Amino acid sequence: MTHNRRTENSAEHHEVSALLPWYVNETLGERDRRIVDAHLGVCTVCSEDLAAQRRICEAISAQPAIDYMPVASLKRLQARLDTQVESAGALAPPPEQSAHRWPWRGWMAASLATMAVAVSLLAAGRWVQMEARLTQPNYRTVTNSAPRPQGEVIRAVFSPTITLVELQTILDEAQLKIVSGPTEAGVYSLASNSTLTVRASLALLRQHSTVRFAEGTLPEPDSGSSP
Amino acid sequence: MTLPVKNSPKERDSALLLAIAAGDRRALEELYLSFHRRLARFLSRFTPRYENVEEIINDTFLVVWQSAKDFRNASQVSTWIIGIAYRTALKSFRRQKNHAGARSLEDYPEQTVDPTLDAEVHDWLNHGLSRLPMEQRLTLELAYHMGHSLEEIAAITDCPVGTVKARMFHAREKLRQYLPALSGAPSGLSARIG
Repeated sequence: MTHNRRTENSAEHHEVSALLPWYVNETLGERDRRIVDAHLGVCTVCSEDLAAQRRICEAISAQPAIDYMPVASLKRLQARLDTQVESAGALAPPPEQSAHRWPWRGWMAASLATMAVAVSLLAAGRWVQMEARLTQPNYRTVTNSAPRPQGEVIRAVFSPTITLVELQTILDEAQLKIVSGPTEAGVYSLASNSTLTVRASLALLRQHSTVRFAEGTLPEPDSGSSP
Repeated sequence: MTLPVKNSPKERDSALLLAIAAGDRRALEELYLSFHRRLARFLSRFTPRYENVEEIINDTFLVVWQSAKDFRNASQVSTWIIGIAYRTALKSFRRQKNHAGARSLEDYPEQTVDPTLDAEVHDWLNHGLSRLPMEQRLTLELAYHMGHSLEEIAAITDCPVGTVKARMFHAREKLRQYLPALSGAPSGLSARIG
């Protein structure tokens, strides 16, 4: 008991006690989890508290679900979105049908369609990577030996804080499109969108501080001259 | 838009949000339906009234629709959406707290009770939780029901990790008094409920 009192007053005890809820829900990092494990071995106060927190966690998790009707709620949201589009269209992104109502916005619809195709390719690429991940080693490199996605000429890594709009702007400028990615390491596979040389596209990419890495992936380095 | 069938939830959420940023209403619907249940459960800790819960969820997804293009991959999509719901709910709660927003046990009859759950523990727990300040109650819910990490809760509630720890500490101390059997406190410490 004396030992426990001494433990109870220690800084470690207070630190571990504060972490117990996240030990219970198993989201602690490896380092913190080891500290908690070690402390639990010598502190009965924390061991008892851990058991109590597990009971509370189980009781909260076991509370009854509430029968809501998401589809009915969704219809009301859709009605609100439709109203917004009808009245202004300023706050919300234009829905897919907008081109039919406002033909002069055709260019916008075309742009969105292009973006949607890119997103589809991106999503499909992610799925393919997930399938392939099972056979890949635990480490990952930017230039691994996996087969190149069709059309890939450049692999690039962008800042994690880049927005989708910023990303699209950079790709448009470098005349590139996404064919796959991002991988877990954040790598995008990019294909050329025009006759611009790979070297020129790389130079344009590398001008941006939000491009962390950009390299050509063709077997022979592109020897074309920059514009 | 064709979305991959075998994605992990995180990858699927990211792909859906990318599609939403491109103006895809079907992606918004899919994301809405996949989040509705957990948001409804979470928001029911703010208010027991379904109309309020629905309004907050729909307000949240209006923000998702409008802001998807600005989402930064620094956080998970789920953390981002729950954070929007949290802030939307806080605003709503502050507007209504002098009215019918505060919850009480009388607000529960709408709920469907799982017959396998001990009804006494259920009522007892709800009563104990209802006596906690909202931030403490929600911290418990985010950690114990939704399984969020300390850092994720800090991101969702937009406050430092230390504040999250402090809220959880006070919530546990109060539950120790309110729910001595569940919290394992000695019987001498028990506080009378009701």
